[in-house]
Amino acid sequence: MEMFLMAVCMTFFGVAVSAMAFGAATSGVQEQQAATLDSKVDEALASMPERFFARDTAPAVAAPPPVVIVPRVPIEVLLAQIERHVRLEHAAAESFLYDPTSESLHSRTTSPLVH
Amino acid sequence: MNTLQADLLKGLTDAQSAELLALGVRRQYPTGAELFPLGASANSVFLIERGRVALTLPMQVQGHEEDVMVEERDGGQVVGWSGLIPPHRFTLKATAQLQTDTIVLDREILVAHFEKHPEVGYLVTRNVASVTGQRLQIFQAMWLREMQRVIELRCP
Repeated sequence: MEMFLMAVCMTFFGVAVSAMAFGAATSGVQEQQAATLDSKVDEALASMPERFFARDTAPAVAAPPPVVIVPRVPIEVLLAQIERHVRLEHAAAESFLYDPTSESLHSRTTSPLVH
Repeated sequence: MNTLQADLLKGLTDAQSAELLALGVRRQYPTGAELFPLGASANSVFLIERGRVALTLPMQVQGHEEDVMVEERDGGQVVGWSGLIPPHRFTLKATAQLQTDTIVLDREILVAHFEKHPEVGYLVTRNVASVTGQRLQIFQAMWLREMQRVIELRCP
């Protein structure tokens, strides 16, 4: 019986010492690891919702505004198109004066500036 | 030019037309020459005998100011009617597109002639009113067509 009680006491003592030693050893490491993890977090990834299965739909990522490539028309070509447009519109307006109806007023044009 | 075909001379007898044209000065403009600039004082009316005149207004195109043609006039037609209508300022720029022959009629000389011959003054004024009225109606229709397109773009 005495031997048994001694063994139990020694066990509790050993566990207590181990726990204290473990606590003392790991308290600094946790702070260091937390600081390292914080510095390594990718904010873009962190902002994305978690996905577990590969088939989960990918989260919508804000796409950059589309780059619209507008071909620069030579000014001579543009002026020629404007002139053609004016001639066509003038002719359409004149035909309206000869036949003043809603249809002739809003007749279609072949002007490249409109289409 | 057959004087009877000129816009400005409609309704006048041959004798009246000849007398009126004799008041003018013949002036020739090579291709590209300017008859009058936008905004200048308008003291004369230009009767085109032959050739072609472009009437233009300035417009910003690709960051440059360009003269954009808004109307063309050729033989028998008149440009510069602002010379007869107050406030006597040209509201367009006129440039010869081809070699152009004109008869330039000075306002003061014309007005003095109209005071002596009121019947000629009445007919010429009526013809000018016809030219301006037609231009107004044409540009009214052109403006409305463009407005229609603006509305279709905004409210398809």
